[in-house]
Amino acid sequence: MAALSEIRSSHAGPAAVNACNDTGGPDDSLVRAAQSGDRAAFGLLYARYSRMVHGILLARVPFSDVDDLVQDVFLQALPRLASLREVSRFPGWLASIARNRATDFHRRAKPNDEFDEESVAAQSELVAPSTRHSSHSSAEAHAVLDAIRSLPDAYREPLVLRLVEGMTGPEIAARTGLTHGSVRVNLHRGMLQLREILGRNASPPAGGAL
Amino acid sequence: MTTHQTDPEKEKMMQENYLWDGSGTPDPEIQRLETLLADFRGSETALVLPAELPAAPSKFRGVFVNPLSLPRLAVAAAILLVFGVTLFFTMQPKTVPETGPAWEVANIQGEPQIGTKAIAADQAPSKLHVGQMISTNGDSRASLSQADLGEIRIEPNSRVRLLQTDPNRKRIQLDVGTIHAAIWAPPGTFVVDTPSAVAIDLGCAYTLQVAPDGSGSIRTTLGWVGFHLNGRDSFIPAGAMCSTRRELGPGVPYFEEATPAFREGIAKFDSNPQDSSARSAALAMMLSEARAQDALSLWHLLSRTTGAERAQVYARFAALVPPPRGVTRAGILNLDQSMLDLWWNSLGLGDISVWRFWEQSASPQPSANSQQLPQKKQSLLKQQP
Repeated sequence: MAALSEIRSSHAGPAAVNACNDTGGPDDSLVRAAQSGDRAAFGLLYARYSRMVHGILLARVPFSDVDDLVQDVFLQALPRLASLREVSRFPGWLASIARNRATDFHRRAKPNDEFDEESVAAQSELVAPSTRHSSHSSAEAHAVLDAIRSLPDAYREPLVLRLVEGMTGPEIAARTGLTHGSVRVNLHRGMLQLREILGRNASPPAGGAL
Repeated sequence: MTTHQTDPEKEKMMQENYLWDGSGTPDPEIQRLETLLADFRGSETALVLPAELPAAPSKFRGVFVNPLSLPRLAVAAAILLVFGVTLFFTMQPKTVPETGPAWEVANIQGEPQIGTKAIAADQAPSKLHVGQMISTNGDSRASLSQADLGEIRIEPNSRVRLLQTDPNRKRIQLDVGTIHAAIWAPPGTFVVDTPSAVAIDLGCAYTLQVAPDGSGSIRTTLGWVGFHLNGRDSFIPAGAMCSTRRELGPGVPYFEEATPAFREGIAKFDSNPQDSSARSAALAMMLSEARAQDALSLWHLLSRTTGAERAQVYARFAALVPPPRGVTRAGILNLDQSMLDLWWNSLGLGDISVWRFWEQSASPQPSANSQQLPQKKQSLLKQQP
């Protein structure tokens, strides 16, 4: 039967971005709309990808700077979007901008502002004091995050996206443009290394799972 | 994977599945890490875009820069920076967007009032500020407008209060009466609170009515509108209508061109929430009368029925509009949201992700004093050229 959209074509909303007519990836139509200047479409892309960008940045820069850098990444991406020829590459393209922004952040930092785990933890406490955790578990959370950041690039990014941002493996693959296989392997190997580090750093067993 | 796995192997595999996609046996260690790290998660703050977009950087940036000229470039950049900062502060009132502008009210007929003050026919447009109410009597009409939003015409015997006006959200309250809205702001920006539902503009023109008892109805003429109350959503595309009742929220939307029997079935279904036999009879009437064009209503009925009735709705819906790839009967009967969304999108009545975006970004309560941007957003705006 004819699609209802054909039956009711005269009623199609002008401002709605219709993804169902698109033959490409689920976000291709949004990317095209954003390329043509549709800010609402760009807002939707932000809603869908901000977690991914946040995770990529959190894997590389101090927590206290991440929110601002997320905004920077999207503000950098917006004027360049028109130059993206293959809309299906948007996820990987955006992930690259986020990684470059993190690299740029460290390059611009003064020598004495280098990544210092203790100051990062202190800053993070100031910016986002935990309402759910005691100071002890908050310190432990920072220690775990630092342990993840000490892993190789390939492992820390998917682990942050999975454990911090709450994305599933398939979501990570879709959002970053990586294959399911590589995300799965990196999650698995990264988790093994993380367990090893946390086990090594743990003080004599106090009944915790770590 | 073999079929002869020992229990520990199976357990390990199930736990690996948990790491992969959250399925399988939860791994307590991973669960603990998830809980521990949750506070670092992105806060989903709204993106603040500059009023004018910066130009895209040149592809050749850096390629032709002579390293010897870098000091001169640095001096030039410093001069430009000083110039830019000076310009910014001198131009600040023009470059920072208005955060709490009043709306213009114009008299169309009779003597509409802002509060207790009448608006004369021959006077310049008046201003309506947040918290103020505009009311019309039996022979007066008014218009309410804002340049970046649209225009709202207020019919006789209506009361409208302005609740919120910030760059991302404009909100009014319609206590009683009728408004016609023509909105050109981005979808999800304009919201109308009524006693029995909240209407969210998704890029459209529509008429919204509220009766003295708080019940209401909406009729969309262009685009589509979301009707929402306590987790119950109705989407009303152009050519469709939907009624709403106090405490029950939005009913099942339907196209005006539906058969009288189908419409009667919807009215009975919506008005007898506690009478299961009346609802069953109404549902049977609707299903027998439904045409492909009534898929709009059938999609909504899926989430308003249970058990065998939902299965009946699915069967009729699938017969009229086959579900797209990725949508299964079991998923729909379990009200799997992603499948429901896929099916909705296949109807071509509007992209439901626009709605999901609104749901994510919506503040739970309208704020009568939300004209000020958060400090962080203000600083971000100030950084823009």
